[in-house]
Amino acid sequence: MAGRVLVVTSGKGGVGKTTTTANIGAGLALLGRKVCLIDADIGLRNLDVVLGLENRIVYDLTDVVEGNCRVRQALIKDKRTDNLYLLPAAQTKEKEAVAPEQMKALCDELREDFEYVIVDCPAGIERGFKNAIAGADEAIIVTTPEVAAVRDADRIIGLLEASELYEPRLIINRIRPQMVRKGDMMGIEDIIEILAIKLLGVVPDDETIIVSTNKGEPVVMDKRSRAGQAYNNIVRRIEGLDVPFMSLEEEGLLTRLKRALLGHS
Amino acid sequence: MARDYVAFKGTKQGLVLWLDPQAEFSDIVNQLREKLSRTKDFWQGVTVTLKESQRKCRPEEKRQLEEVMGEFGMALREEPEEVVSIGKVQEDQSLMVDRDNALIVRRTLRSGQRVHYPGSVVILGDVNPGAEVVAGGDIIVLGALRGVAHAGAMGEEDAVVVAFRLQPTQLRIAHFISRAPDDADLPEPQGPEIAQVRNNLITIQSYST
Repeated sequence: MAGRVLVVTSGKGGVGKTTTTANIGAGLALLGRKVCLIDADIGLRNLDVVLGLENRIVYDLTDVVEGNCRVRQALIKDKRTDNLYLLPAAQTKEKEAVAPEQMKALCDELREDFEYVIVDCPAGIERGFKNAIAGADEAIIVTTPEVAAVRDADRIIGLLEASELYEPRLIINRIRPQMVRKGDMMGIEDIIEILAIKLLGVVPDDETIIVSTNKGEPVVMDKRSRAGQAYNNIVRRIEGLDVPFMSLEEEGLLTRLKRALLGHS
Repeated sequence: MARDYVAFKGTKQGLVLWLDPQAEFSDIVNQLREKLSRTKDFWQGVTVTLKESQRKCRPEEKRQLEEVMGEFGMALREEPEEVVSIGKVQEDQSLMVDRDNALIVRRTLRSGQRVHYPGSVVILGDVNPGAEVVAGGDIIVLGALRGVAHAGAMGEEDAVVVAFRLQPTQLRIAHFISRAPDDADLPEPQGPEIAQVRNNLITIQSYST
């Protein structure tokens, strides 16, 4: 079995890379896929916290690379989903502790056992970024509707091309339809026009994300959350299904009534 | 000065510094300084490769060259094994502005990417915010120009910038600089536009043939 290695990256920090990684991973695992998440943010790890697995860490990525343990010993099984595993980052080391070639070898080893290996990339364009993309064959870019985030995403796409990672796909995170409508926020079209890459999904700004992230439960498991629904759609698009983009408009009573009566959306 | 003791040439390896094999070294240094000071803004941050196939330099001489170039923010390097650059330049072409010779870039320039060419530059794609095009001649963008463009970078005031959508962060022609207005509500340009220097001002008008 040779699984796919995906890297989730953005350039800018704080746009939701880790949350996205956790939710895509959990979503794929819920579909029955065998998934391994790698936290490549050595020294500033977060993925374990978002997944609520922090207290189970014994060995980490650096231990594996340095040969202190076998990969299997470092992998942590998720507490809710059977098929989801995490390879955590070291908190007390620095990015330079791992070299891109080592990451590539690690990804290739893991893809033998997993259908998906998803790498959570740190912010920035230095060593951590180079490590994270070294073993990947697909890239997912996360951005928010802010000029600075889009600018950094653009830079990242250029760097990915230089590393021969072509056709990355885009997730626009934390969009607020009302603000877009009023012209106070960049819209989806504005972002696509600049970045000119394929859209993988749009995640609306949603308070349930903050709650779920703090509780260590990926929002993708929450059926009522709109962000969770958006991540579900993204996961199915990664699987190759043709899922239409959901309407970002808040559904009022009237629209829901209309839909119920007319039988379409 | 009657003869050129010093020449910059564009090659596949980027810019190359050629030195006259017969000339006195002091003349070379003087001419180099004079040449650079004529167009000093152009050279900031440029790295040049020293070509030693015709004239071998002593370490002491190399240091002197480096010193002069350092004054203009340039770096000198020995002939490298391999250079990665997006702006590939044609073999043995004099750096004298040659606007009929254009570099064609068949891609979109993204933030952080930079094209630097002594002749004219044609971009088949967009120039995104954060990207930069510097040309000795004209700049033509068959797409949206949203980054920084500097045409006539070595002093050609009649150089022009043309784009399907001209929305640059900053526009420079020779030593003239203009920037996008701070008022963001300006209407978007409809169709191609041309920027050129008129009465010591960069002016923009719609481009029609």
